[in-house]
Amino acid sequence: MEASQKRAEVDELARSASKVLERLENGPWPSHVKELKKSKYPLEAYAAGLAARKTQWAAGSAKIRYVYTGFIARRTRDGKYAELHFRVWQPSGQIYTTDYLRRLLDFADTYGLGLIEILGQQGMMIISVDPSRADEAIDALRALGTDVGATGDTIRELATCVGPALCEFALYDTLAARDYFLTHPKIYEWMSNQLFPFKFKAKFSGCPMDCTRAVHRSDFGFVGVWEGAPEVDQELLRRKIEAGEVDPKELAARCPSGAITWDGKELKIDGAKCKKSMECIRRAFPAIKPGKNRKIAVLVGGHVKGRFGGKMGKPLAIVNSVEEAMGWVVKTVESWMDGLETGVSKHKDRIGDFIMKVNFKKYTEEILGVKVPYKPSLHGRLGAGAVLDDNERKMWLEWVQNIVKEYEERI
Amino acid sequence: MSANPADRLRKNLPVPYTKFLPEQLKRNLGKWIDRKFHGYGIIEHISETGDRIFTVKIGTPPNFRLSTSTLRELAKVADELGIGALRFTRNGNIEFITDSLDKALKIKEEAEKMGFPVGGWGPTLWSVNSCTAFLTCTTAVVDSPSITKVLYDALKPYFTGEITLPAKLRINVSGCPSACGGFTADINLVGHYGDAPTYDPERIKLCLPKSAKALETGHVPEVAEVCPTGAIKVYGKPDGTVGLDVIRSKCIACGRCRDVCDWMDFDESKAGVAVLIGGKASNTGTGPWPSVQVIPWVPAVPPDYKEIVAVVKKIVDVWRSHARTGERIGDWLNRVGFEEFYKLLNIPLTRWNQPPRFSGEFGIRQFFQRA
Repeated sequence: MEASQKRAEVDELARSASKVLERLENGPWPSHVKELKKSKYPLEAYAAGLAARKTQWAAGSAKIRYVYTGFIARRTRDGKYAELHFRVWQPSGQIYTTDYLRRLLDFADTYGLGLIEILGQQGMMIISVDPSRADEAIDALRALGTDVGATGDTIRELATCVGPALCEFALYDTLAARDYFLTHPKIYEWMSNQLFPFKFKAKFSGCPMDCTRAVHRSDFGFVGVWEGAPEVDQELLRRKIEAGEVDPKELAARCPSGAITWDGKELKIDGAKCKKSMECIRRAFPAIKPGKNRKIAVLVGGHVKGRFGGKMGKPLAIVNSVEEAMGWVVKTVESWMDGLETGVSKHKDRIGDFIMKVNFKKYTEEILGVKVPYKPSLHGRLGAGAVLDDNERKMWLEWVQNIVKEYEERI
Repeated sequence: MSANPADRLRKNLPVPYTKFLPEQLKRNLGKWIDRKFHGYGIIEHISETGDRIFTVKIGTPPNFRLSTSTLRELAKVADELGIGALRFTRNGNIEFITDSLDKALKIKEEAEKMGFPVGGWGPTLWSVNSCTAFLTCTTAVVDSPSITKVLYDALKPYFTGEITLPAKLRINVSGCPSACGGFTADINLVGHYGDAPTYDPERIKLCLPKSAKALETGHVPEVAEVCPTGAIKVYGKPDGTVGLDVIRSKCIACGRCRDVCDWMDFDESKAGVAVLIGGKASNTGTGPWPSVQVIPWVPAVPPDYKEIVAVVKKIVDVWRSHARTGERIGDWLNRVGFEEFYKLLNIPLTRWNQPPRFSGEFGIRQFFQRA
């Protein structure tokens, strides 16, 4: 009796959401609702969420033989709808030939609802695979040369920038580095099970512009850098200046390191001052290029989601290759996992939380056996949220209503 | 079913990456020597082999969900006008790859005909990154895909470059404080309860031990243990069952408890989004920067979310009229200070949006400040 009452919940709510869905289908930007409707996706749970202003999903369960990572099971809180999503490993660089892409689309049509979340951060997600055919689907996916695999308390999808495949700034082969990292025996062993306190991410950025956000969102971040000053081709630079493409005074003024001087004839960069901002390089490339002595900066402990709020990566070392840092990665992960036994790390502690508890100096010296000569910058807890009372919410509501009014009056 | 299902314990990884690259990119791997921009949605890369490759970037629907039929249409364009390959960027944009400017311009035309805007490079809106929220997520407080949709609708001219900005702009929209959509971009909207969490009194029992005896040995249920501020207390009741209390004065509405227990709940009429600004990853300007909560609460009312759209527009407008060319929001804030920003927007100062203090520079710049 109770079950049938509850069952009506999602569908009933969904019916009252038609206006909201209509708004989301229209407008100048491509619509997700339109795409959902083009597939076999049942819109009810989403529509009900919008009507109730609350997500209708709760954790579900699924069992696939010998597969412990890579899929997400959900069911609606009233029990009527269930989903089983596959997260699929992407090739480094996320470039898909149309042949390979079509085979994945066929897969999504055969085993799913004809809907894909293409995002690059956590792997491609095949939405809603038929649970009764999940075993068969895993085999079919493996036959395509990939696999499920980046969910839960384990190695997650590793992000790289496009690197040498399509960028002139790649200071090291980020794509090969990701392949190396994924197939490292320890990482490879860990990724099939969920034995960590929380998720683990590594990101590989080819230059200091850090397209993968390695400084913010990776437990281990690898950022391409160089030593000393950028390389200046004075002859080519002169031609660019004469052609009006580059203003040398602007280059000097824009350098956040104050490392550039221009005497009217020659541009000089002080390598000891240079902070590798890329400001001159991106304006005058290829007349100004990164220096020849190329290295990789290793940052540790960055994350957004973690028990004690977001953290930015701390400086560990500048190395010649990712291989050089693998010993530290393994030691860090092992002691973070051991922490579950000793009580130092708890479920939902990211590596950044673990380092915070142990203390950075102790972590580097006693766990890694490294003396770090760099000074990590400090910041308070990074996070969002507020516990407000009715008066405070009213104050913010009035504040925002003034802005809404300002824009309505403009139209 | 394969002959030996246990083989699945060994992941079948898509490596090496060279196996997946189209021929034109493989033969130019690491050989790129120059680049040119053609508007805000086309980049030309020039190789030392003489090859020229053009990339055309298009914006995709919120949460990057595309039907296979749409993807097949895009693949058809990539075959007819491109080199038979597409790239999915980390922020869910799609890049077509082709070998002449002429074809790149035709791809732009085709994509726009299909309703996909072209742009997102240079001093423009690069992307609005959204988590899944009500589409799949168990902890979402607000629906980030629909917020993303209305924001994109309002800000499309900034993506295509019809209106330019002082510098690059990225927006992240996250449905809850776990912030899977991120809060490290220039402008970030993060859903939260707006108050301490509540709970479903019946179903919360699923997250607690059945008997108070279990607590006697010092066991703390995860829903309480996971709280970073000790705001959740569990205790044995006289009838032998287990009770739970949320201590409002300690709570920071971070959502960790709901992460581990589906039956922690919230009052949707009090929920809203926090606005964080200034985050950036790039080492350009004043370097990588964390983002900071400047507006603790704005209501999130579907379907128009007009309060959210107005606040984002206002921040963008103030930044456009005050920042120097090339200054991202974080660079600009770094120069003028939070106090000045608060003054410009008339933002009240409360305990939830105190200007932050940082001890130095971030990211790889930490390697240049000696201990």
